[in-house]
Amino acid sequence: MSQYLYIILMLVGIYGLLSQKNIIKMIISLNILELGLNLFIISTGYISGSNAPIIIFENDTNFVDPLPQAIVLTAIVIGFGVTAVALMLARNIYKKNGTLEIDEIRGEDND
Amino acid sequence: MINPILLVAIPLLAAFLSIMVKKLSGVFLFGVSLFTAIGSFFIENGSYVIGGWKPPFGINLVVDDYSFLILIIVNILFFLTLLNGMWDLKKNETVLLVTLAGVNGIVMTGDFFNLFVFMEIIAISAYILASSTEKYYSVFKYLILGTVGSSLYLFGIIILYGTAGTLNMADLASKLPEISNSVKVLAFTFIFSGLAVEAKILPFNSWVRGIFGNSNTLTGPMFSTVYATVSAAVVGRVFGQILTIDTNLIYAFITLTLMTFIFAESAAMASKNLRSILTFSSIGQAGLIITMFLLGGFYAALIQLVNNAFAKMVMFSIATKTYSSNEDDDIDNLAGIFRKHYMMGLGFTISALSLIGLPLFFGFYGKINILQTAFATNMWIPAFILIGSIIEGIYYIRLLVKLWNPGKEGDESSEEAGTSYTILNGFTVSIIALVVGAVFVVAGITPEFLVENIEKAANSLGDINTYLSSVMGGI
Repeated sequence: MSQYLYIILMLVGIYGLLSQKNIIKMIISLNILELGLNLFIISTGYISGSNAPIIIFENDTNFVDPLPQAIVLTAIVIGFGVTAVALMLARNIYKKNGTLEIDEIRGEDND
Repeated sequence: MINPILLVAIPLLAAFLSIMVKKLSGVFLFGVSLFTAIGSFFIENGSYVIGGWKPPFGINLVVDDYSFLILIIVNILFFLTLLNGMWDLKKNETVLLVTLAGVNGIVMTGDFFNLFVFMEIIAISAYILASSTEKYYSVFKYLILGTVGSSLYLFGIIILYGTAGTLNMADLASKLPEISNSVKVLAFTFIFSGLAVEAKILPFNSWVRGIFGNSNTLTGPMFSTVYATVSAAVVGRVFGQILTIDTNLIYAFITLTLMTFIFAESAAMASKNLRSILTFSSIGQAGLIITMFLLGGFYAALIQLVNNAFAKMVMFSIATKTYSSNEDDDIDNLAGIFRKHYMMGLGFTISALSLIGLPLFFGFYGKINILQTAFATNMWIPAFILIGSIIEGIYYIRLLVKLWNPGKEGDESSEEAGTSYTILNGFTVSIIALVVGAVFVVAGITPEFLVENIEKAANSLGDINTYLSSVMGGI
């Protein structure tokens, strides 16, 4: 049951988001969360002993579920976009505040 | 009649073209948003198969009376918001076009994973739009919460996929009785948590203050109307029609949404800044509307959704315009500003009074239907809604008195005591405020022309069989 391992990976990511005070480490935690989720999705479509879902002969019915793989492909691309935006924000936060530690960033209440 | 896929495809195409032809990006933006605002009137009900894969295997777009109403509202709001915020575009034309494609897609989609993709498209463009106010740390907090929320949503729908073997909304709705209750509770909780981030429900809405409270004349109306309408409408579609909750879980969700309403209205009462007050009011209204969707009062929810969207557009565009002209929106410093700008003041006042549901305005029908729906359930829910509404009424009346009436309480008000602040470039904003205000008054006296369409939309949301047959009939 490798699914539990991937759920633990997701929980590690959430723990990192809650405990880390550095913006880069938070982005890494976010990526760990997404990685655990993607592995979990892949594992739901896995059938032990099956082939890759590339159908060459029409009578070949022994293959894993292809839909989770398509979903994960989309989710990886989306995760890449989110990470890119997050790094853009991290760069701008550093330019504005001179630090990446969230304790040292001045509050941004509406002023 | 046009194919509804064009409402998604043309904004996306224009977004790519606007990168290549930078000089024409403004033309693309206004032209395409005008096209979708007009084109959304000319789409026909039905299920549209994309790419030749019939549902439940492929992705389909569903247009029924509900998505038709939301599409029209959202596209009109988008166009009006662009007119209000055209001084603050800041080279965001491409992002706005992608947003337009995303909001049109998320309203029409008939597939849960497709909904996730559109949700992320909207969210990523929201991060980029919000970062144009240069409050990067607030945007970063929004990004973290939004990404965790959409991951939870994806986790929830994958649990449903692993159990029922489908991601198509209609197919899943027909297979829902076969899924065991424990799986449903787990999956629904994850899906609700994911949607609650964008819908501003209580434990997930800590991002709202940093984003809405620091908004400029483009992002303020955009987030508080287009995004708020779409996110509430998605919760209505998912939890009102497709994933109907028949366990006690619904009371847990309603507790959260009612707490959102009460706490946000209380926080608005304690706020001193114009944009903060409107921010907390937006959160409160989102809680109220989603409570109605969960209770099954679709008619009340939709009236309040329309009412809130147009009222917030007028109020947020005036509030952000005031801030951008004066770099300050403390209501004590703004006392009497509507004496100078009486056109904006009139529109703001009518919108605020309609939002709190005074008779003779359109919002009255929303409040009376909300209370009727609530009283049909038990005695606790209407009590909370009444308390929240009273708090809302008090702070809006107090705000209006302050903004019209300079000088200290008890003294005779005079022009000299008024503020020295002015509002620049306010012509478009005041025209739109007056038009929307006039619609609120006319719809308050003769509500038939709006209410009939909303009732049709509410009926189609409550009728799952018509939805199923429209999708499965397409096979």
